[in-house]
Amino acid sequence: MKLISYSLLAAGMLITAGCSREPKRVNEVVAIPAAAIPSAPGDSVWDRAPEHAAKLLLQDLVEPRLMEPSTTEVRVRAVRTPSQIAFRLDWNDATLDEMAKPGMFVDGCAIQLPKANNGQAPDPQMGQQGQTVEITFWRADWQAAVNGRAPTKIQDFYPNATIDHYPSEAKSLEPGSAKQKEMERLYSPARALGNLRSGPRESAVEEMIAEGPGTLSRAAASNNSKGNGTRTKTGWQVVISRAAPQGLAPRQRSQIAFAVWEGSHKEVGARKMRTGWIPLLLEESPK
Amino acid sequence: MARVFNWQLGREMSYWYPESRPKRQFAAVFDINKCIACQTCTLACKTTWTSGKGQEYMLWNNVESKPYGCYPLAWDLKLMEMLDGQNWEGRRYDGRTLFESAPAGERVNGWRPESQDYAYPNVGEDDCTGQVDKGASLMTPHMNWFFYLARICNHCTYPACLSSCARGSIYKRPEDGIVLVDQQRCRGYQDCVKGCPYKKIFFNPMTGTSEKCIACYPKVEQGVQPQCFENCIGKIRLGGWISRPEQARADNPIDYLVHIRKIALPLFPQFGLEPNVYYIPPINVPPAYLTQMFGPGVEQAVAAYKSAATDKDLAGLLCLFGSTERIVTRWSRQGDIVTGTEENGSVVMRVPLNEPVHVRPAYDRLYQIARVNCP
Repeated sequence: MKLISYSLLAAGMLITAGCSREPKRVNEVVAIPAAAIPSAPGDSVWDRAPEHAAKLLLQDLVEPRLMEPSTTEVRVRAVRTPSQIAFRLDWNDATLDEMAKPGMFVDGCAIQLPKANNGQAPDPQMGQQGQTVEITFWRADWQAAVNGRAPTKIQDFYPNATIDHYPSEAKSLEPGSAKQKEMERLYSPARALGNLRSGPRESAVEEMIAEGPGTLSRAAASNNSKGNGTRTKTGWQVVISRAAPQGLAPRQRSQIAFAVWEGSHKEVGARKMRTGWIPLLLEESPK
Repeated sequence: MARVFNWQLGREMSYWYPESRPKRQFAAVFDINKCIACQTCTLACKTTWTSGKGQEYMLWNNVESKPYGCYPLAWDLKLMEMLDGQNWEGRRYDGRTLFESAPAGERVNGWRPESQDYAYPNVGEDDCTGQVDKGASLMTPHMNWFFYLARICNHCTYPACLSSCARGSIYKRPEDGIVLVDQQRCRGYQDCVKGCPYKKIFFNPMTGTSEKCIACYPKVEQGVQPQCFENCIGKIRLGGWISRPEQARADNPIDYLVHIRKIALPLFPQFGLEPNVYYIPPINVPPAYLTQMFGPGVEQAVAAYKSAATDKDLAGLLCLFGSTERIVTRWSRQGDIVTGTEENGSVVMRVPLNEPVHVRPAYDRLYQIARVNCP
């Protein structure tokens, strides 16, 4: 009798906490309707969403290939509003890699959807000529910058380094003045040319398009992508949201693919774990 | 992979892209025998191009003391271990290049330096001498020799950085063969850093992109030699244009030294990149070491260089090194005068084979004063 009482008590505590409930498992990505898109990975809305465990495969189509697997699975939940869709990616990663250095890489993940939902799926690995895929790419170092990490400085790599002089910080330049900022820009070649890779970083994600391997480029038009990742006890939970797939009505299916980069495994660019196309269902709002 | 011809190997080889040579190829000859490792070239480059944040440990030009000095750490030793059986059959390379020995899944057989590998430029530079206790003898694995190796990007005919980049962010300019990184397109994958055996392309952690020597192309476009050439106080460098061997011209300074007299040799030709900086090897170093570094033409090159004292053409051309900031495209010798001209035919300079010597007596009788040599 006493045992039963303890069991009931424990069950009651679990329901009250509302965090240990096993998610409903589905064999496709199902976006459930929600009143608003949750930006935080810990939002309670995610508890309602069914979970798809996507198996990750080696990128083995083009060189450089990834020869040894690392992350084996990414668990995905999805919610949607009439105009937006969001995915929470959850994967195991024992090491935190959030600063790129010579020979060192960062953790990251990406979602990929076909630009057009016309029943013809492009090649799952970066699309194909004439059939564009839209990619939203999240990186741990961008997340750290958005979270307020101080700009990278040389002592982050060489703790004992001393620098006599940067031309962009010459005494004749008033700190923070337009002239000083212009000098700072000129001495940062990629930033001076507008390469978003070089910052300044205001978002943890980047919107890209591709028509095949090696063609990844910045999307001309924004689909309002946002990203927010947090470190968990076992790895990462990252929410990526963007505009809902074009021309896709509730109860219809499109495709989605995922990729995960494990920084400590030297994964970057084409060296990644990825999925093939997975059906993406927009679940209808309850009537 | 495509099949391309690499004249430095004397054979065809595999490369990621088909053979596509530029209209003309920027090239250089460095006379190692004259280098004093003053690092003026290094500083000239540093202050011109890499004084921004993220470029602190980046040396597009460096000078390292061989056999032990290196930047980044052990760059050449690691490659010697990675490339087994670097055998030459006469002037034909029988081993595998870095493209031909690429492991599965890779485009090039390479390795990745990390931050600490750049932390000590030229570590080991003094290891060939060092302190010796009184009465003791110096014991080193090598005979007691060393030389200074000045290095920039080789603007290779078959660049490994370019072929490593799956995004196509690196390109070789068709007008002059200079290899550049498109700073708008680069996404910092660092495959180029891994692929370049000479480690002359660097990851900038502040911009998140890779950067490299640009051969001072704004100057080259104006017919002027790069900063590290112009500022070399040892006058060891000569920049210009190299032809294919079968199109070599005796009046082209680079062609004459590389193709005709064969006294200037590529750095580690066995890598397979057809590098376009050529070195006149040091005459004081054992041929076996030099052969590993510069290929099978070393002994002939050293012999030819030593003959310059009695060879007015060779001596004359060597006089042009460092004599002008302009790029000399043609040269000639009449008697004891050597003339260099630009592409448009205008004379850049004339230099005598022997500088006139003036001997001034120690005591100036006119002013009745003893002359001293001011420091």
